[in-house]
Amino acid sequence: MSVSGQSLEQLVRRAGYFDWGSAVPLEDIRGEVAIAGIGETPYSGPSGRNARDLCLEAVAAAIADAGLQPADIDGLMVSKGIADQITPEDFHAHFGTSQPIWFSREGGGMIWAATSAHAAAQALRRGEARHIVNVFAVDWASRRADGRGTPGDWHASEVMKAHFELPFGWYPQPVYFATFARRYMHEFGLTERQLAALPVAFRRHANRHPGAVMREKSLSVEDYLDRAPLADPLRMEDCCLISDGGAAYVYTSVERARDLRQRPVIVEGVGRGIVDGAPYISQQKQITATPQTFAAPWAFAMADANPGELDVIAVYDCFSITALMQIEDMGLCSKGEGGHFIQDGRLDFDRPRSRGGIPCNTHGGLLSHAYVLGIAHVVELVKQLRGEAVNQVENAELAAYAGFTADEGSTLVLRRG
Amino acid sequence: MVQPDTNDPVTGPFWLAASEQRLVMSWCERCDCAVWYPKPACPECGGLLHWKTLSGDATLLSWTVVSKTMNPSFNGSYIPALVVPRDAPGTRLVTQLVDCEPAELVCDMPLALRFGMLQPREGDPYMAPLFTPFRLRVGP
Ligand SMILES: [Zn+2]
Repeated sequence: MSVSGQSLEQLVRRAGYFDWGSAVPLEDIRGEVAIAGIGETPYSGPSGRNARDLCLEAVAAAIADAGLQPADIDGLMVSKGIADQITPEDFHAHFGTSQPIWFSREGGGMIWAATSAHAAAQALRRGEARHIVNVFAVDWASRRADGRGTPGDWHASEVMKAHFELPFGWYPQPVYFATFARRYMHEFGLTERQLAALPVAFRRHANRHPGAVMREKSLSVEDYLDRAPLADPLRMEDCCLISDGGAAYVYTSVERARDLRQRPVIVEGVGRGIVDGAPYISQQKQITATPQTFAAPWAFAMADANPGELDVIAVYDCFSITALMQIEDMGLCSKGEGGHFIQDGRLDFDRPRSRGGIPCNTHGGLLSHAYVLGIAHVVELVKQLRGEAVNQVENAELAAYAGFTADEGSTLVLRRG
Repeated sequence: MVQPDTNDPVTGPFWLAASEQRLVMSWCERCDCAVWYPKPACPECGGLLHWKTLSGDATLLSWTVVSKTMNPSFNGSYIPALVVPRDAPGTRLVTQLVDCEPAELVCDMPLALRFGMLQPREGDPYMAPLFTPFRLRVGP
């Protein structure tokens, strides 16, 4: 396998320097790895199922979609600390297999839905695996329904947050991002009506998307403005759902992917950015920007592409405001212009690049499709680049995912193979 | 659990000082700057840290009005905020704003320190460093 073109020094020079965070120096893997199969479970509220079952169902679907057999899978990537994920032992017990499996906990959703492609490329280079499944599932809707935990638990258990933030009620996550949204409105004049464009566009996509949790519920700008804020200026419609569900995809070399059943989707660039002083976003120097600022330039430098060439994007939208800031931080418009930029249907699937659009979260995103932490965002982009999406974007050739964990961001640039 | 722990070796001194109505931050004498949140030693010079009492002057970075349903740890709505202490401008304090209406709040406005008791829905009340919009006192 060829080791591609640009040196780390070249990538650093192209990606630039910042005074409040930095990009992780990921070496160039452009054109080495492809996504050859995708699989999903149903997405829902409380299902009574556990995350491991959901993982296994998604993995089985992804393997079948690629035209592979479970015995062909020799790599497995899961999330380190979020929900119950599967191990190679679970894989073998479920599929009745016994092959050696390269195993990494640097996979899953959020930022890892993107950065797993880089780790997978390195494992492929080293010959440690040929077909690697990245999987992520959550059962948080069921857990919340049973009183067994919430997505805020980690934040409440971290010592500094527990001792300096919780006693003042700066918790849970919607409160953080409401505070950031208020500041953003002050600095850039964003209005609540402008912010509504994100939840309304994503809901419209979900309304047309089988399997989206909010498929049956419409949302207009007026509906949105009529709702009372939960943590002002954010309303319930600005906050992600809590869901059960999972998804998986198969990484392999581009050469191998060309022999498999599906049209390959090729990884062109990967970026990962970290805010200085992480993990305390209360102490982040900039609260009107995200670590996408550091990740995106790296990924676009590796892909030798620019954001203006993107046909479709999927942006981690735990909150409307985080999606808005990441759209800016990816370089799709200038800082502070996002509120204006997203108006007039610019994020709609049926306003393609040829008409000035940048279709975003065409499955409905975390706000209206399901809260599976970004893994379904990447699956949706694969469908778009194969030409199989429900809300298909015209001539979709180049796509990008923006991943987020608050103190870290990631970017995955994908091209139709 | 929102109750602060005055016995915690790392974070307790902040709350102990608060109970005496002093606002303190972890400080490196040698670098003469705040180290926030506290660490075992100064990340710049490795020096020992101590707790320094701040003036209490600050500006408002941002805030939000939290509804009852969002965080049931407190009764009713409240206004958590990020403020920038004048003596430690590279840091943010998480706090609450009191004695004000949301309509009068503006980012970057000057604030004054005002100690007050916070009463969680469960557990004992605790003295906390809170802030209020700075108002010039007008004579009687
Ligand atoms: Zn020092």
